[in-house]
Amino acid sequence: MTELWSRVEPLLAHVERPTRYIDSEFGVRRRPDASYRAALLYPDTYELGMANQALAILYDILNGIDDVAAERAFLPAKDMAAAMRAADVPLFTLETVRAVRDCDLLGITLPYELTCTNILEALDMAGIPLYASERGGSDTLVIGGGPCAFNPEPVADFFDAVLVGEGEAAVAEIVAAHRAALADGCTRAETLRRLAQVPGVYVPSLYAPASEGAPAHPREGAPAKVTKRVVADLGAYRSPTCPIVPFMDVVHDRANIEVLRGCTRGCRFCQAGMIYRPVRERSADAIVRDALAQLKCTGQEELSLTSLSTTDHSQIEEVLRRLSHALRGRAVSIGLPSLRVDSFGVAMARLVGEGARGGLTFAPEAGTQRLRDVINKNVTEEDLLATVRTAFEGGWRRLKLYFMLGLPTETDDDIRGIGSLVNKVLAVAREATPPAQRGGMRIAVSVSTFVPKAHTPFQWEGQLTLEQVRERQRILRESMPRKGVELHWHDAEVSFLEGALARGGRDLARVIERAWRSGGGFDAWTEHFVLRRWLDAFAAEGIDPVSLASRSRELDAPLPWDHIDSGVARAYLAKERARALEGVVTPDCSFEECTACGVCSSLGVDVVLAGDHRG
Amino acid sequence: MADATYRLRVTYAKTGRLRYLSHLEVVHACERAVRRAGLEYAVTQGFNPRMKIAFGPALPVGTAGNAEAYDVWLTRFVAPDDALKTLRNATPEGLAPAEARYVGEREGSLAAIMTLADYEVSVEVPDMGPGSLAEALGDVIASGSLELEHKGAIKAYDLATCLPEGARVREETGGSVVSLTVRMGAWGSLRPEALLREALRRAGAPDAPVAVTRTNLRPEEACTTRG
Repeated sequence: MTELWSRVEPLLAHVERPTRYIDSEFGVRRRPDASYRAALLYPDTYELGMANQALAILYDILNGIDDVAAERAFLPAKDMAAAMRAADVPLFTLETVRAVRDCDLLGITLPYELTCTNILEALDMAGIPLYASERGGSDTLVIGGGPCAFNPEPVADFFDAVLVGEGEAAVAEIVAAHRAALADGCTRAETLRRLAQVPGVYVPSLYAPASEGAPAHPREGAPAKVTKRVVADLGAYRSPTCPIVPFMDVVHDRANIEVLRGCTRGCRFCQAGMIYRPVRERSADAIVRDALAQLKCTGQEELSLTSLSTTDHSQIEEVLRRLSHALRGRAVSIGLPSLRVDSFGVAMARLVGEGARGGLTFAPEAGTQRLRDVINKNVTEEDLLATVRTAFEGGWRRLKLYFMLGLPTETDDDIRGIGSLVNKVLAVAREATPPAQRGGMRIAVSVSTFVPKAHTPFQWEGQLTLEQVRERQRILRESMPRKGVELHWHDAEVSFLEGALARGGRDLARVIERAWRSGGGFDAWTEHFVLRRWLDAFAAEGIDPVSLASRSRELDAPLPWDHIDSGVARAYLAKERARALEGVVTPDCSFEECTACGVCSSLGVDVVLAGDHRG
Repeated sequence: MADATYRLRVTYAKTGRLRYLSHLEVVHACERAVRRAGLEYAVTQGFNPRMKIAFGPALPVGTAGNAEAYDVWLTRFVAPDDALKTLRNATPEGLAPAEARYVGEREGSLAAIMTLADYEVSVEVPDMGPGSLAEALGDVIASGSLELEHKGAIKAYDLATCLPEGARVREETGGSVVSLTVRMGAWGSLRPEALLREALRRAGAPDAPVAVTRTNLRPEEACTTRG
């Protein structure tokens, strides 16, 4: 294995932001003599990938295994990719600047449907055959994992294996199985058969894909269903205390402590809320200990307490009091990524001194109570207005509201409801703000298109077509206040493609390959996204993306992800769908009684609260 | 600032791969090193309090530095050698601090007093003798001014002002090394690489790789308030 730095360095004078490629950050682990090497690739640029907490956790765990080295790899930006191709430099790992294809294992994060072309670009730059079926004995083992593993089918052909669920325990088992197979001189086929026996590991080549009429079918001893891995007690794994400190101004450039995992608020559109169940909180002691340790080790000036619903933590007030006391006078700020729409949320934000500088973000998601009940978003107009009043009276001047268009059962009245709700918010905010300060008010409304996702109660629903989205955007625009609000749209074309990819099957691999070959890449970046390229690729493969995204599925029809088991029962999802259509809400089992989603019983886990109760 | 503070001047190098850092990235990395070192730093007043720290003139991406500097205001006195030791342990190797000493509160800012910068530029042109490079460089300097494009605007540098001590060229294996001193001021800071590019263009080797190192920063007058 050769060190490629002498061939990388001459390229750096001619590319933007060379910091992406130089490694050398504080906290980097370098184990050049390890006999087993894993590359961890985030399929986007350094500044996005370094924000990924899962990679930081896996980097820590893998580098803690005897004789194993884990190194980072990212997709180079387009200028660097062109320079590398011209100079015949393969995709390399940052730490020891060696070719990714010389690693034993390549782990690729599956963060978002639209990174699929980046995966092909990375494999191609690495010199690894794109399709698992084309890889031979000595080729790097390519394993995926992340949220998109819950419908892995569109990218399944590119992976030797996919880990479904949480990686803390599973990655060590995967590495152990692979090392044993290497030591035993197994063929690739035998290696894959062995990997399929590791719980949570899906080996696509061992399954005949699902079709319209039939579910995916296992062979060669692979399990009928691949059940997600879940860590019963987060306390068994400390948050990384010395993660890498980037030089570059990356996304979420801060110390991150995961305070809890999972959210059972039960929003019916939310895939994260279904696939990361159950709720497991870390204890206040562990959070404060790890947060202070990480700040000390990294020297970061900002701490973020991350999770899907941080202010739901049963000891959050205690945590914030202790942390703000410990950090007083050190110019270290504490951030809460998501806030409850109630006075408690605002009180927590005030506790960390966010009042003067930051803005507040709330997500009512829908404009009418009827539709909020359909999606189980337990927020009322009174809650929202009271919270906004408290916030603006308390000195906040910036507010961001998130809504979605195209939720199931949405009518024109629901859309106009967004406009009228925003009007009311604006009026309350103005009223609560002294006249002299009203010039500093900033109210932003961000509207995305609902994309139905696998393993949610809305997995059978159709997505709006592009024409419908544009019509509804027009209605919304007319209902919005003329002045005082900044309105942002999520790109409807991007959402359309996301919808087509999110619920597709194995046959999408050829579409993705075509889109990539015709110049696709960085499709998640608006400036690089070209819908035409995708429409042509779908057409060439004879697949109708509009049908994939917009048709409703029969409740009893096989779905491409049926063999992937999130622990949440399909029957529960169907029941939640029925309740949605009746407008009946379902409570949160971490606050109230069990709602029988099936996760705890089928996976042998339970809700873990650090305090006595939530409230 | 009501409380007493101690102004610690840290001299450091920007070398190896870290020469590809931008100035902002260097600033950020040094701030974090101060935090990691556990030094008790002063904090600015206002809505968005920050560490009180001030840097010398910026170095561009790709340019190394042997004697860069920042001042950081501490709220608790630490013996300079101890401060240096903790900072060295807390700083990535390519930004290693070399010296730490306290300076008077009245001394001007690093950016204001350090107006002369010495550079060494290595030029990789094996088959071009130092004579022809020196000649080309001499021609550029003799022309009196250099116009450079930066972010769409043309900026003219008066070379007599910018290069108070001219430039010297010596031969080394594989190419030449150019030594020069740049004077910085309200007009900005001439980038040695841009000057060398122009000379290399005239000498017929426009794409020759160059490596720039700022070897020293110093005040214009020989007599200053050092120490």
